[in-house]
Amino acid sequence: MKATVDPSRCEGNARCIGVAPGVFELGDDDQAHVRAGDIAEELRPLMEQAARLCPRQAISLEGQKAQS
Amino acid sequence: MTQAAPLRLVDVDLTNLDQFAHADMHEVWRLLRAEAPVFWTNGTPTYPGFWSLTKYEGILEVSRDPVTFGSSGGIQLTTDPRTSHSLGKSMITSDPPRHAHLRQLVNKGFTPRMVTMLEPQIRGITVSILEEAARQARADFVGDIAARLPLAVICGMMGIPRDDWTLMFELTNRALGPDDAEYQTVAGDRSATRRQAAAEMTAYFGRLLSERPGTQSGDLVSILAGQAVPLPLGEGDSSTSPLPVGEGQGEGGLTNEESIHFCRLLIQAGNETTRNAISGGMLALIEHPAQRDILSADRTLVPIAVEEILRWVSPVLHMARTATRDAEISGQPIRAGERVVLWYPSANRDEDIFPEADRFDVRRIPNEHLAFGYGEHFCLGAGLARLELRVMFDELLQRLPTIELDGPIERLRSNFLGGIKHMPVRFG
Repeated sequence: MKATVDPSRCEGNARCIGVAPGVFELGDDDQAHVRAGDIAEELRPLMEQAARLCPRQAISLEGQKAQS
Repeated sequence: MTQAAPLRLVDVDLTNLDQFAHADMHEVWRLLRAEAPVFWTNGTPTYPGFWSLTKYEGILEVSRDPVTFGSSGGIQLTTDPRTSHSLGKSMITSDPPRHAHLRQLVNKGFTPRMVTMLEPQIRGITVSILEEAARQARADFVGDIAARLPLAVICGMMGIPRDDWTLMFELTNRALGPDDAEYQTVAGDRSATRRQAAAEMTAYFGRLLSERPGTQSGDLVSILAGQAVPLPLGEGDSSTSPLPVGEGQGEGGLTNEESIHFCRLLIQAGNETTRNAISGGMLALIEHPAQRDILSADRTLVPIAVEEILRWVSPVLHMARTATRDAEISGQPIRAGERVVLWYPSANRDEDIFPEADRFDVRRIPNEHLAFGYGEHFCLGAGLARLELRVMFDELLQRLPTIELDGPIERLRSNFLGGIKHMPVRFG
């Protein structure tokens, strides 16, 4: 799974970092960045939470979705 | 006071401003959440008809889609899009993609790093406000304490000379409280009061913008002045300017009129909302002494308590959106052109989201309140407001530990801002 932070939306509220500090970090530019290119599938619920809690809707997730 | 007869849907009137000033609106919102979470109110000569959203999920649904539910039709219930001249010219009444562009002109001033750098100043201002207040036995908590911090902070960030801070306080009161007799400059006339306040602010900021040398001094007004482009028509004449925003002036440009609107937005948003969160938060702590004791005993809880204060107080009562196409909200068809009103204090008491939603709990976790909105228009100053609130309550608990009410509070007559005008207190 891949996560991206839209730099035109992120304002450094850092909610994602609170949810998944291993995945996101706050850069010198005061924006959140994704640490790793590929994120383990078992982190999906956490990543979905991070995306949902981002008050600026800056996070999008790509890649294989869990079967529904 | 609770009435003998239970409230019914036919009695609900969210345009009754006296009710907002004197009654418990949560009784109304609770009924709407339970029986009509998407509730239609017919228009009147002063209000277009509107849908009221009172459930958390419905409000999120609309906030997630700023294209379908636009802001350029006005963000206040009381705005009549047929007669308002400011729509689309201010960030808060702009839609994508223009909104994002306007926001990027100033959002660097509100990043976590910028806000953190302000903490020593904010603490210094807070301490001096509280020391001065503590020299008396009594105070009006709003005017003597709550209003002073956010006013000083936003005026400082904008580079407004100190001599003009009182004027800013008065002008924003009039602009945001035109339905309240205390702030009316023409008795009984909200439109004239608003128009006069807007005209005075326009003249003031027009002058301030023209005096700033550009981006040199770093304050927000200078940054906006540095974005200025020549206006082809009469400068800042809002009644005649047919300018479609963002067209024919290059992406970077702000007309003089737009810069003035930006200044007006910053000064209003920067001082009214945080003021009411401070006053409302203090009131909540006074009314819940056990919670206040918990917080006083462990001030590391202050950041968590501040989130609960934001949920509990929800200083902004509503934002309005206008459907740009036929749509559906929580199963209710909405037609293009219809207005949708998001009642944030109601979302923040939604029983489906917050366990024991009507309990004030300074240790509440999680607390995903919508006091700052969500998405495209999420409060730009949220980080700054949080810092001001944390510092203020941290110092208040230490310096004025025995503060109590010393008379009845007076609420603002408004369905837009959950304001407290006066709150007499004594210091033990």
